[in-house]
Amino acid sequence: MALGTITESETELNLRADRPWVCVVWDDPVNLMTYVTHVFMVLFGYSKERATELMLKVHNEGKAVVTSGTREEMERDVQRLHEYGLWATVQRDNEL
Amino acid sequence: MSSFRPLDNGDLDITFTSQEAHVLINLTEQLLELLADGDGQSHSVDPLLHLVGISNSESPPEDPVLRRLLPNAYEDEQAAGEFRRYTEHGLREKKKAHALLIYEALLPQDEDWNGDIPLDKGSIQVTIAMADSLAWLGGLNDLRLALAVRLGFGSEKGQHPADQAAGVDTPNADVHKKYELMLESDPMKAVYAVYSWIGWLQQSLLEALEVK
Repeated sequence: MALGTITESETELNLRADRPWVCVVWDDPVNLMTYVTHVFMVLFGYSKERATELMLKVHNEGKAVVTSGTREEMERDVQRLHEYGLWATVQRDNEL
Repeated sequence: MSSFRPLDNGDLDITFTSQEAHVLINLTEQLLELLADGDGQSHSVDPLLHLVGISNSESPPEDPVLRRLLPNAYEDEQAAGEFRRYTEHGLREKKKAHALLIYEALLPQDEDWNGDIPLDKGSIQVTIAMADSLAWLGGLNDLRLALAVRLGFGSEKGQHPADQAAGVDTPNADVHKKYELMLESDPMKAVYAVYSWIGWLQQSLLEALEVK
């Protein structure tokens, strides 16, 4: 488990330079927390733990980066989140 | 009020009272009309662009419910407008498909039923394919979002830090309290009851999916 975590964060670091765009989800007073977690799991294939962690970040901090990648990939993710009623925007990584 | 049940084959099952079914039929019908309203119609319409799913509209819809259902994808207005031009029609179509799925599952098969008279059947049983569960969740969520905007606590304002800094009201528990304390005779109280029920329904569907 620990080894897997290290490998994952190293991979994230390596990809960061080539992945200057992010998809941000904003807090919303209507969407149920369980629903937001479910959408993250189904759309992005996240584990329940990862999806819950991101949902709580949105809830507590007002927003969270949920995916990163090329601009086209992020636009596709935002569009899919909008299809399910989540509030999401595309932005450059360094704008955060 | 019955809840969703998981079936052995992975599908889900629920029995609505005719009154509950009637509420959902009417709401999804209104949502379908709203989503069709003004689709690619703003300014000068280019039929060819509309045909391939590109609209001329770069500005957000005027109706606050539509603005919430079809939000800007960029904080920057210009980038948001450009993106909207190529994607808003597709987003409307997706949302219409979700609403239509719920509408058609509940619509009575009797050919002489016209929507104005109450359903005479005591209850309506609906089976949802596992593959359709996300569309149902999304459709129910759009109904909640639409009702919340009409109730005054689900609009886009107050969501972004910029709006909060500008002093725009942020929705909070006080609003819910207001509806809890409202007189039974107030029509908005009934709207709030429907909003709460659909949230309960959505939660029940999520729990039924969790069981499997």
